[in-house]
Amino acid sequence: MTISAPHIPLISAPPAPSTLTGLKRRYFATPFQAAVSLLCLMLIAVLSWKLLNWAIFSAVFGTAGGPEACKAAGGACWSVIASRWRIILFGLYPYEEQWRSALACVTVVVITVLSCIPAFWTGRRIATVWVLGVTLFYLLMKGGILGLPRVGEEMWGGLALTLFIFVSTCLIGFPLAICLALMRRSDLPWISRATGLIIDTVRSLPLISILFTFAVVLPFALPQWLQGDKLYRVILGAALFFSAYQAEIVRGGMQGVPKGQEEAAMALGLSYRQRIAHILLPQAMRNALPATINQFVISFKETSLVIIVGFFEILASGNAAYGTGDWTFAYVEVYALIAFIYFVFVFSLSRYGAFLERRTSVGHR
Amino acid sequence: MSPRDLSGSPSAAILIQGMNKYYGTFHVLRNINLSVARGEKIVVCGPSGSGKSTMIRCINRLVEHDAGSIVVLGTELNDEVANIDGIRREVGMVFQHFNLFTHMTVLENCVLAPMLVRKIPRAEAEMTALRYLEKVRIPEQASKYPGQLSGGQQQRVAIARALCMRPQILLFDEPTSALDPEMIAEVLDVMVSLASEGITMICVTHEMGFARRVADRVIFMDRGEIVEEAPPEVFFSAAKNERTRQFLAQVLNH
Repeated sequence: MTISAPHIPLISAPPAPSTLTGLKRRYFATPFQAAVSLLCLMLIAVLSWKLLNWAIFSAVFGTAGGPEACKAAGGACWSVIASRWRIILFGLYPYEEQWRSALACVTVVVITVLSCIPAFWTGRRIATVWVLGVTLFYLLMKGGILGLPRVGEEMWGGLALTLFIFVSTCLIGFPLAICLALMRRSDLPWISRATGLIIDTVRSLPLISILFTFAVVLPFALPQWLQGDKLYRVILGAALFFSAYQAEIVRGGMQGVPKGQEEAAMALGLSYRQRIAHILLPQAMRNALPATINQFVISFKETSLVIIVGFFEILASGNAAYGTGDWTFAYVEVYALIAFIYFVFVFSLSRYGAFLERRTSVGHR
Repeated sequence: MSPRDLSGSPSAAILIQGMNKYYGTFHVLRNINLSVARGEKIVVCGPSGSGKSTMIRCINRLVEHDAGSIVVLGTELNDEVANIDGIRREVGMVFQHFNLFTHMTVLENCVLAPMLVRKIPRAEAEMTALRYLEKVRIPEQASKYPGQLSGGQQQRVAIARALCMRPQILLFDEPTSALDPEMIAEVLDVMVSLASEGITMICVTHEMGFARRVADRVIFMDRGEIVEEAPPEVFFSAAKNERTRQFLAQVLNH
């Protein structure tokens, strides 16, 4: 293009305002704005003081004084955490073996973090990380080899159980969701209709009823050798529930991929599986990313529902931590810790989602 | 069926006989007969809805024909998946809306099919890709994503992507219809230089200047039928059919 642009006189941009003038302009432009700003500042100051005073200045940290020291003080009673944190984190897991449960938690966090790193996004690497990680987790938790005493699934609890249920739900549920989504858009009416019916049925049932069915009712219907431990049945139920929702999210993502993409892939001679793996799914997953992260977050928090079929995941073991007579008054502190743990996991999940969105939007206008 | 069968045949590159296609009750293609020799350049034109795109999409089975036969490079196009795959390997296509893979860079777009379908090692596929990107005059854009390119550049990448499979036949489905006027020339230039290299080309387009310069035969379609079929010098000056003359009057009088 050689059309010459009309001559525009150069006007130098105004100098960037200093931080102080910027703040002034944004928060103190008019007397009313200034008043609102001051009021909010005061409110923040008062609330932070109250919170800090409760959580730190007037709080009791050590376990030396026991529950009585807490009752005398005005602030938070962190001594309940100090004396009961093992129950919160590990539930009923045998005391001497709790290092195994801790190591298992670390394993899950490490494999999750590893699989979030783009360098690991090849089929073989991801599979290696997960197979090794899950095997290690299982061996650590269950024991029975290498001189580790055997610990049955009914004794697992706390954070390790929460993480285990969440990770295996996603691990089973996600591939299942992709299969369901692909089957739902099949050209064969029997397959697409049947899949649609399954998805809609599962979605219209409450998760609690599904967990209950898998934990309690299924053993009556299945032969002994097919039953497995209650924990695995519950995980299967949760995975089925997860996959029904996630399948619709993936399908939505697929509908956002223009038809021309698949036509171009066909014209180049790519097979069905190559088209799905290299063209359709990568683009569909990019479209579906925000909703997928949302679904992960929901599933993480829904793990607490396994309490109704008798598992002591982190929330239930928190209840047990303060519910033993001495510490019944200190439930706020226990819940604060559990909320903090949930927050750390869920917040990192959503920050990671935001990172992925930025990364995959490269070159996408 | 191995690819060798596809290349060894001495007969026509494409032979379409008595092809019909329906969309529901709508008769899109009516008794199409067409034979394209190896190395021949064919331009297909006609009013919109006349079945031009549908016809060339039948050649690589993006659209399934309902009756009649299509033989491409000696292989009959039927429900045999091996035949379909074999033909698609040898028949490249360039689309109106480019259809570049938006989640891949230009280079990845070009090496994907050679690596997956032809099982060519990455290094070799990338060398071939860069050579064809140079040919369409955009080697410097290889690491960009399609969304960062102009329409004309995207279409040239799409042509390079099709060429990377070393097809014996290239189909163009209105390759310049979605482009801004100043970008049409850059794409047509690439197509003209391709035409001089002996590849078989079928091109659905309204660019009559292009048809005059490169076509061995121009085909006019209307209402699902091939109405007229003639070398360009005859087609543009002495069309036999009334509908062809009407169409040409509309297209050329601007």
